[in-house]
Amino acid sequence: MIEPFLERATPVWMQVEDDYSDIVISTRIRLARNLDGYRFPLVFSEDEALQVEQAVTHAIQDSPKLHERYSYFAIKDLTPLQRQILVEKHLISPQLAKKELVGSMLLSEDESISIMVNEEDHLRIQCMTASFQLQKAYEQANKIDRALEGVLPYAFRDNFGYLTSCPTNIGTGLRASVMMHLPVLTLTGQMNQIINAMTRLGMTVRGIYGEGSENLGNVYQVSNQITLGKTEDDILADIQSVAEKIIQKERHARGKLMDKAELALEDRIYRALGTLTHARILTSEEAATCLSNVRLGVDLQLIDGIKAATLNECIVCMQPGFLQHYAGEALPPSERDRVRAKMLREALFQENLSKPTIGGKGEDSYDV
Amino acid sequence: MICEHCKQRNATVTVTQVQNSQKVEHHYCDVCASQFHPFHAEFKQEPVSIQQLLSNWFGSPTWQQKVGEKQQAPTQQQTCPHCGFTYKRFLKEGKFGCPGCYDSFAEHLPKLFNRIQAGPQHIGKMPGAHSNVYVIKKQIEDIRKRMKDAVDEEQFEEAAKLRDEAKELESQLQFEGGDVS
Repeated sequence: MIEPFLERATPVWMQVEDDYSDIVISTRIRLARNLDGYRFPLVFSEDEALQVEQAVTHAIQDSPKLHERYSYFAIKDLTPLQRQILVEKHLISPQLAKKELVGSMLLSEDESISIMVNEEDHLRIQCMTASFQLQKAYEQANKIDRALEGVLPYAFRDNFGYLTSCPTNIGTGLRASVMMHLPVLTLTGQMNQIINAMTRLGMTVRGIYGEGSENLGNVYQVSNQITLGKTEDDILADIQSVAEKIIQKERHARGKLMDKAELALEDRIYRALGTLTHARILTSEEAATCLSNVRLGVDLQLIDGIKAATLNECIVCMQPGFLQHYAGEALPPSERDRVRAKMLREALFQENLSKPTIGGKGEDSYDV
Repeated sequence: MICEHCKQRNATVTVTQVQNSQKVEHHYCDVCASQFHPFHAEFKQEPVSIQQLLSNWFGSPTWQQKVGEKQQAPTQQQTCPHCGFTYKRFLKEGKFGCPGCYDSFAEHLPKLFNRIQAGPQHIGKMPGAHSNVYVIKKQIEDIRKRMKDAVDEEQFEEAAKLRDEAKELESQLQFEGGDVS
């Protein structure tokens, strides 16, 4: 049953809050692995695909070393909307969602682990944690990898390490990503410099709302580009230190902005909140910007009564797939903006934000 | 220096390009540089960018492409016996066909990895079975080195002891399934 995984916008593991939660949203580790003796998904036959899938599924579901329960889904059995929601939740990649014949996923109960089969590589182990926990996420992925290496004939060479379809993943097959909310660095125009510096360190920066979205909502994903010639520990340590520096910079910039222009900042934040709680039409760009501002307000304790978790949920929910799921029907783009505004109004009013006069959460009941 | 592109802001970024083995330097400001940055290309056309990189680096130079098919560089026609992928196709797609491609094209790859990775040699984690073999191989190498030193210093008794240790490890290696060479 896929439905339970589509209902929740953010899984339970996202609810954790720690010292980094004001800036880091989540951490993700991905390990790419392939099986010797089978061609890569780019060119393999349907028969090979089936054999790989059976071997991997069997290895995961019957492993005595893995204690989590994994649900299996073949991509071809899912509707386009269901696939889109899984992509919006980052449980599968857009590339896997496009597969017509082959491709499947194994998902742990709490959604923190998703294993993609026959995407670009035979196997992609993906582990997620809330906030900034590279080590924890890596240990989780490593545990699964260690359990599978005994059963599956991993393609590995002493010289090139774990072999992958694309030479950008070769070696460790490790991609570590930290998702960060950096509104003030963006506002003060420091992001371009940071992005330039990070390229030189062999890291990439992307937006979260998919390719080309860049910094919609001021959320950036920092990840390593280099996978060969460095140990896993070094890759993680480098990402850790770069991310920590960025966090420091953002905090410093926030502090400065509060000293210099608290009222202007507060105004901006409350205007955003006003828009989210009262607008009738919201494009995803505007919603993302407002959510970012409100989140900053919550993080700086300028706004009371809204949980960061609610905002994280809104960020996921306002995407087209979720909106249509929420509305219970397919929506043309123009309709989405209306439904998005309604959904966000309800989500934020439920937060018990405005004490007087607002009773119901129905669409127009507070519209006096 | 003023940015070459907008001709307004100060140039803070130097972009060095190698075109037809000619080095060209451009000076841009932050803002313009970020627009020309390879990143931006990646957002929009990720699959293309790696292919372009590959063919730019390892494909035949433009002046060679005019020459007929038959005279094409022999490396490009090299074929992986496991999946039928040619090196040329790898350059075009930016991806390999099967794990065997890494063996078939092994000689060309270190050069590639030197450019897009931190180096040509994997130094990270290994599957358990591999790491045993690897650790033993390292130990044997180490013992052989010490054996040679011992012989050089005419400590033959020590050398003989080391030789026995190496033999022991070699038989263990055979047991683990690694080849002794």
